[in-house]
Amino acid sequence: MYSSELIKGTLKTIILKLLSENGKMYGYEITQKVKELTDGKIQLTEGALYPTLHALEADGILTTNAVNVGNRIRKYYTVTKSGKKMASEKVTEFQDFMNTMVFLLDLKLKKG
Amino acid sequence: MFVLNEQQVSFIIADIRRNGIEMEELQLNLLDHICCIIENEMPPDQNFEEYYQSIIPRFFKKELREIQEETELLLTFKNYYAMKKVMFVSGTISAILFATGSFFKVMHWPGAAICLVLAVAIMCLIFLPLVFLLKAKEVKVKREKITLSVATFFGIAFSLGILFKVMHWPGANILGLGALAILIFLFLPIYFFGGIRNPETKTNTTITSILILGAGALLFMIVNLRPSHQVDYLRYVAVEHLNQSYTVATAQNNIRYDQLVGDSSKSQMDFTTLKNSCNELCNKIEAEKKQVIDFINAGRDEKLSNEQIFYEYSNNYDVPNNLLFDNMGIPTPQLLAIKQDITNFKKLLTEKHNKTSLSILDTSDSNIYGNPEQGKTTWEKAKFFHAPYELVLTNFTQLQLDIRIIEASCL
Repeated sequence: MYSSELIKGTLKTIILKLLSENGKMYGYEITQKVKELTDGKIQLTEGALYPTLHALEADGILTTNAVNVGNRIRKYYTVTKSGKKMASEKVTEFQDFMNTMVFLLDLKLKKG
Repeated sequence: MFVLNEQQVSFIIADIRRNGIEMEELQLNLLDHICCIIENEMPPDQNFEEYYQSIIPRFFKKELREIQEETELLLTFKNYYAMKKVMFVSGTISAILFATGSFFKVMHWPGAAICLVLAVAIMCLIFLPLVFLLKAKEVKVKREKITLSVATFFGIAFSLGILFKVMHWPGANILGLGALAILIFLFLPIYFFGGIRNPETKTNTTITSILILGAGALLFMIVNLRPSHQVDYLRYVAVEHLNQSYTVATAQNNIRYDQLVGDSSKSQMDFTTLKNSCNELCNKIEAEKKQVIDFINAGRDEKLSNEQIFYEYSNNYDVPNNLLFDNMGIPTPQLLAIKQDITNFKKLLTEKHNKTSLSILDTSDSNIYGNPEQGKTTWEKAKFFHAPYELVLTNFTQLQLDIRIIEASCL
């Protein structure tokens, strides 16, 4: 498990990347997918996920679609056109950030 | 897979609401999320309610409401940091411009006006509204929000009033007085009666209210400070006296012309020329004086007397300045024609009347503020540019009187 501090700065990038690759997803699904892809090393907390999802929706980066699931409503999130652009920008930015960090902290990248 | 029944879903949604989640969208999201966890992750042998209570703490640090607060923060304070930054930057720029502008103004250096206008514009249009927006989000009590908005409104109106006053723009007094009225009759009562109810803030509120009232009264006095009636009256009498001297001099010269008609020792032609050029020049100057009065009276149903105009406009720079110079400070053809006529008049005096000492009709360039280090300025600028109405009037009448004095010395 990584510290929440590390995850906080990359939460938007993770959400946008996942959604632009997987189409529509709902909150629980996002947390599970991240957990599965990272072998449980990254676990998104609900307290950070939902506020971010709502803010991205208000900014027009995500849209929602409500679907009836049994006896409750599930909100599926999808990225808009501007969201797709933002996702690739965020990923590029993070790639650049990682390269800088590798250099800054003089890290030896493990091969394989 | 375990599936939650209607009753259990109702239990969860009620618990979410009870814990302070008010946003409907967020309620739905949390409900679905919790249901998913229970349906997918609850061990078969566990009790629903126990499991529910065990998983709910992972949603927050202290209480569930945090999620709602964090969401609100992200939604409403989306631009909080940018706004805060702009507020600090605009405030600093405005303060620097204020300091520079006022120093330049005192030193009579160019660029003062643009600095002050920018300073007030940035302060009124960017800084103060941002201070209000950011502060209004911090305060929860409605009364404090009202106090804050009234104070912002006062700040904007008062800054604009001061700017208008310094720039001699019309409407300065209305803005200044309006701002003070807002301060004394709106802000002060709201602030005073709001703060005095609370025993903790009672003393401070009273002291601050007294200070506000005192400062307001002082500001009112400055905004409306005028010379006493005695001073105003004496200045008017002095200007009128000069005018009377000119009238008397004109009348005396005319009597002398009449006496000269029968004098065969003098050249009648030369005197007719002298009389005509003197009259023509004085009439041109009179026309300049009259156009200021006509301008002020234009569009008024009840025309103001010269005395009334003097009292109201003696310190006004704009009206004479706009009539005698264009926006770039270039004198009007009429004013330049007067200068040319004076030169021609002096030539006539030298050639036909043997006058050599004509220093009182000197129209050559002069030192700025009489200081050789400041450079030279033209006669028309030295006498009339950025001069208040009283001085313009005095300088024109003095010129007319000087012409009549020279004329008399030739007769």
